[in-house]
Amino acid sequence: MNDRLAIREFLQKLLRQTGDRRSFADSDSLVMSGRLDSVDTLDLVVFLEEKYGIDFAERGFDKNDLDSLDNIMALIEAGSGASV
Amino acid sequence: MGKVAASVAFAFLLMLNRVAFYLELAAIVAVLSFFPKYRRPLISAATLYWLALHATWIRQDLIRRVALNEGVGDGWWLVLGAAVVMCAVFGGLGVLFQIVRTRPSHFVGRRPVLFLVGSFLTLLAAAGTLSLHGLAQVAIWMLLALAGPYLWFFAYALGDCASKAPDPYWLQFGTFFPFWVGSFNSSTPIGKGAAYLRKVEAHTPKDLAMVQLKALKLLIWLFMLQGALLVFRAVVYGDLSTAGREFSQAHSFRFPNLGVPTLAAAFDQSAAGLPPPRHMLWAAVVAHFFDAILAVPLMGNMVVACIRMSGFNVLRNTYKPLYSTTIAEFWNRYYFYFKELLVEFFFFPTYVRYFKRHRRLRLAAATFAAATLGNLVYHFCRDINWVYELGFWRALAGFQVYAFYAVVLGAAIALSQLRGKRAPASLPFYRRVIASAGVIGFYCLLEIFDYEGRSHSLRAHLAFFGSLFPLGR
Repeated sequence: MNDRLAIREFLQKLLRQTGDRRSFADSDSLVMSGRLDSVDTLDLVVFLEEKYGIDFAERGFDKNDLDSLDNIMALIEAGSGASV
Repeated sequence: MGKVAASVAFAFLLMLNRVAFYLELAAIVAVLSFFPKYRRPLISAATLYWLALHATWIRQDLIRRVALNEGVGDGWWLVLGAAVVMCAVFGGLGVLFQIVRTRPSHFVGRRPVLFLVGSFLTLLAAAGTLSLHGLAQVAIWMLLALAGPYLWFFAYALGDCASKAPDPYWLQFGTFFPFWVGSFNSSTPIGKGAAYLRKVEAHTPKDLAMVQLKALKLLIWLFMLQGALLVFRAVVYGDLSTAGREFSQAHSFRFPNLGVPTLAAAFDQSAAGLPPPRHMLWAAVVAHFFDAILAVPLMGNMVVACIRMSGFNVLRNTYKPLYSTTIAEFWNRYYFYFKELLVEFFFFPTYVRYFKRHRRLRLAAATFAAATLGNLVYHFCRDINWVYELGFWRALAGFQVYAFYAVVLGAAIALSQLRGKRAPASLPFYRRVIASAGVIGFYCLLEIFDYEGRSHSLRAHLAFFGSLFPLGR
């Protein structure tokens, strides 16, 4: 399973937990729009830390990086290197 | 034509909702509607206008009091001095911006919000502990009184500054106590900062029309809510509006009411040794909670309506709090932008840094950092007048009741989050009702300790809490 698909499935699972069964495009805002709340964002943080070794303490935490599937992919592609 | 109609309807609904400066607000919104391309610079200009003419959020009374107590008078130079200090505050923030952008590995560049809040608290501690006199005392309190209200607005701007594509400083200016927050005497950055506004901005005429319609609908709802609050206060407390009082006096008519004391009155009577009957104490506690449920959305969502009319599809500040089935969910729904501030500046920074190998401890620590520590820091920095009146240490010690409130709140939210959340649809109706009743019961009782003053001790509050129960008296 490729990364994009794996993350999409994870996001869908998070949305389903809140009773949200609407579909979403790769660029759709999920965090800033309120579809995912802060606890969902935590699950996403843990998922990215464990699966992709991203260290948010080192690179700086920006909610916008997790806002859409496209942004998450960009985050993974940028790797866990420091960026501000 | 549609834009004119929307602006007129906006002005009319603000007037119905008894909003001060409604014509100015409607005029600004009309200009923003007609020139959406220049929306953000116009917002900066409107914010500057509001700062110059209606800066009610600045503690002018505190500045004047310090100046009079120090014998330096209250003249034109005080206004000039305030203007100079204000420019220094905005200039200082500009320097911070530069450091964050150009020296990201420096401590200030890595942790700008920690530096900002830490500096403010240090200055506050210095002002409250050192025995300064004359101009030095006026200068330090002027700086605190002018910078304090902006603290969290600046924090959002610094957060944006550290992102990949931030707004330039002059556009960020429009988010420093923007005119929509300044109009309603809120101290919370409702609508957050530039990063959030960019995300939710209406980019097409259709988006703008839709978001403005949502704003107008919200104002109609708030008007009905105001009516409900007036009726509630009249029936429960016998607290009549001006119109009700005039009618009552003119016709010698006494409106029937339940005669429930307010929570503050019930507390004062109990503290004086003349407590109302126990059923009235309970009535006061429950009524206080429902009064807040009706009153809190009025101010916060009024700001949201203004932001939406300005072209930003922001979320509501209060959204169906009574639907909550967990303590954490209620906190999320009750005062969204305050919770978001704590999540952004206390919860996530703790969560991504500490106890990474202990999942539950990690969540609990981050929750305490936000709901307890962040909550306390926010209110202590907001109410600086206590530090001036009592000195730093006595103001801190007098904060014991709110500290207790924040610790209990933090523990309850942490436990609620550790239990995991439930999908609303998955609960049967009767379990939803039971869960909601539990949440309401918890917050009703917790409100007893939601006391930001410094006159009453924790012991007195615990005694009041105990008197609600048969063994407590």
